[in-house]
Amino acid sequence: MASAETQPRFGQSVKGLLSDKVGSCSGDVIALTRQVLKGSRSQELLGQAARNMVIQEDAILHSEDSLRKMSIITTHLQYQQEAIQKNVEHSKNLQDQLRHLLK
Amino acid sequence: MAATGDDAAAMDSISRAPAAHLAALNAAASLSCPAEAPEDVAESPAVAPKKPSTNSDGVETAEEAVEPAESDINELCTDMFEKMSVFLQGELTGTCEDYRLLENMNKITSLKYMEMKDISINISRNLQDLNNKYVSLQPYLDQINQIEEQVSSLEQAAYKLDAYSKKLEARFKKLEKR
Repeated sequence: MASAETQPRFGQSVKGLLSDKVGSCSGDVIALTRQVLKGSRSQELLGQAARNMVIQEDAILHSEDSLRKMSIITTHLQYQQEAIQKNVEHSKNLQDQLRHLLK
Repeated sequence: MAATGDDAAAMDSISRAPAAHLAALNAAASLSCPAEAPEDVAESPAVAPKKPSTNSDGVETAEEAVEPAESDINELCTDMFEKMSVFLQGELTGTCEDYRLLENMNKITSLKYMEMKDISINISRNLQDLNNKYVSLQPYLDQINQIEEQVSSLEQAAYKLDAYSKKLEARFKKLEKR
């Protein structure tokens, strides 16, 4: 097979054949590389993963915003609880006075 | 393998042939041999002439004229393979960059989720403290409820007293008129 391919053909020099062969081998290597990359489907899978991540980003930011608001509300609740704690300490006196009144 | 050996020999012969054959051609031309002149004139001086040879059957064969091999063929080959490697690296770099992009996106997302986790832990701890404090406030809230009931009963008593005092006033005025 090799001898048939490398025999000089009519109108074609050995050097020309050699350069053609080198060119065809290079093309084959390039086509093989591209086919391997295409067959692995890495481009489409990774692109799809990136697209899904971008879609999720909005939901993630919204969740983070909601959590920050929740932490602020919790802080306000703590302040209100401290104020209530301060004021309910007077209720004991009030109750005693009312008991006396209602006797 | 035999064919490639023949081709290599042909290439070597071609590379060595031009100078010798040019000299032979010049000599032949100066002698002005009529039989050989048409063949020599037909060939170009830059191209190596056909080298007639005889095979085992006695048939005369000739090799085709080819250009001489370039002296920097090694450099050209090296250049070709280097460029091929650069091209293949470029083809594979695209996929690598996609992976790097996804890796960075995942890292940033994981950082965001860690921040959210910290915030959630803080919120949970604060809410637990709040629940405990509200549980401790429960007796006071019960007292407030009792106070509210007592105040409403006091209000009822005040209304009754008000009504009784109005009745008493009316009776007193009636008695005074008599």
